[in-house]
Amino acid sequence: MNRLHDRVAIVTGAGQGVGEGIARRLAREGAIVVVAARRAETGEPVAASIRDDGGRAECIVTDVADGESVQACVDETVARFGRLDIMVHNAFMGGIPHKLENARIDKHWTNMSRTGVWASLFCARSAMPHLVASSRRPAGTGGGRLILITSPSGVEGSANIPLYSPAKAAQRAIAKSLAREWGPHGVTVNCIGPVAGSPALLTAFERNPALQNAIEARTPLGRVGDITEDIGSVALFLASDDSAFVTGQTMICDGGSFLGL
Amino acid sequence: MSVLVVGDGPIADHVRATVVSDVEAAVVVTAVDGRRGVGPVEELDDATIDAVFEQPMQKVIAGLQQAHAAGAKRIVVIVPTIGMSGGDRHAVHAALAEAARITVKSAARQWGAEGITVNAVALAPEEFGVDPAVSGPVAIAPRAMTGAVDPSNTVTWLCSGAAAHVTGQTVVCDGGLWM
Repeated sequence: MNRLHDRVAIVTGAGQGVGEGIARRLAREGAIVVVAARRAETGEPVAASIRDDGGRAECIVTDVADGESVQACVDETVARFGRLDIMVHNAFMGGIPHKLENARIDKHWTNMSRTGVWASLFCARSAMPHLVASSRRPAGTGGGRLILITSPSGVEGSANIPLYSPAKAAQRAIAKSLAREWGPHGVTVNCIGPVAGSPALLTAFERNPALQNAIEARTPLGRVGDITEDIGSVALFLASDDSAFVTGQTMICDGGSFLGL
Repeated sequence: MSVLVVGDGPIADHVRATVVSDVEAAVVVTAVDGRRGVGPVEELDDATIDAVFEQPMQKVIAGLQQAHAAGAKRIVVIVPTIGMSGGDRHAVHAALAEAARITVKSAARQWGAEGITVNAVALAPEEFGVDPAVSGPVAIAPRAMTGAVDPSNTVTWLCSGAAAHVTGQTVVCDGGLWM
């Protein structure tokens, strides 16, 4: 219950879906969680719910596509809580299906590039000094962690949203690079590639039960992941001392659907 | 038959001079500049991200679209292996390289039904100006083969009719460094 006792985590895009699940799981283990959400209407209720469950959480409104907003979130977190140990970048403005030959940069690429690639770099550059400071704390009391939420599509490409894949692939390359760059400081950098029951996916299942059947049929474990118990628990591992010697890796967390790593 | 080559610089010039095909083909050279924007991530500014990642990535997308519009049946995208290995102080270059490489897979999935193959050829980072003394080793062992590496024949084969059923792949052509 206290594997992250008093450690401070920022989880972007924690107003719903995978980010919310990760925030809840980290808070359950004693972390002070900053729910970084673009809209207070989504972030505040999640933070309040975590507090109602006995955890510690605050919402800070953050637009990850804006480097100054990310920096302000990090600065405010450190001002309020005195440290930052764990940075989870999950927020992403997803793409819409398109044909690559007709794709338009403004319509089919920019949002994904800004919230996936640029935002990963923003989160990294703003969090870096605090993550290094965390790794300098006595053993068992700190350990800087950067976790980027990518996708199996970032490995295998996508036939439906082709430009979603490069945005997610770039995050994996950033993680590998920063694993090299920050390893000497004791900071680890990893990715999670989830397939989980986010609100968007559950809504799609309601509208199209055949989609749910198809995904479950191709998944060895026969279901999509739970945002808190499945995905949040992988994030907990990567955030905790248990993963101190794991860096530059991508953990595909999809019930065994993708086996290509 | 000549091959449409999208891109500038020594790699693109070499491909133009050496690669031919028996079918309509195009080669897109990713504009990774390993000398520009090198540094720790905390010192990256927005202008550097734009110049070293965003604009070259948009050129890769445009290059693939140009190749498709030109009727190419074989498309090859050339990238450095640093996208797969990562690189110390080269996060932005690695991001570009891997984004380009995985776009190849998406394109292969979408355009396969049209009989179009799309593949990547990955070269050693030094070919793009990356200094391995800064970026760190690509592999845990030295390069397996000695001597200069010329990717022309690999690219030519992927551009040929003989490679009709190879798509979405990355052929690493670096003399056995990245494995």
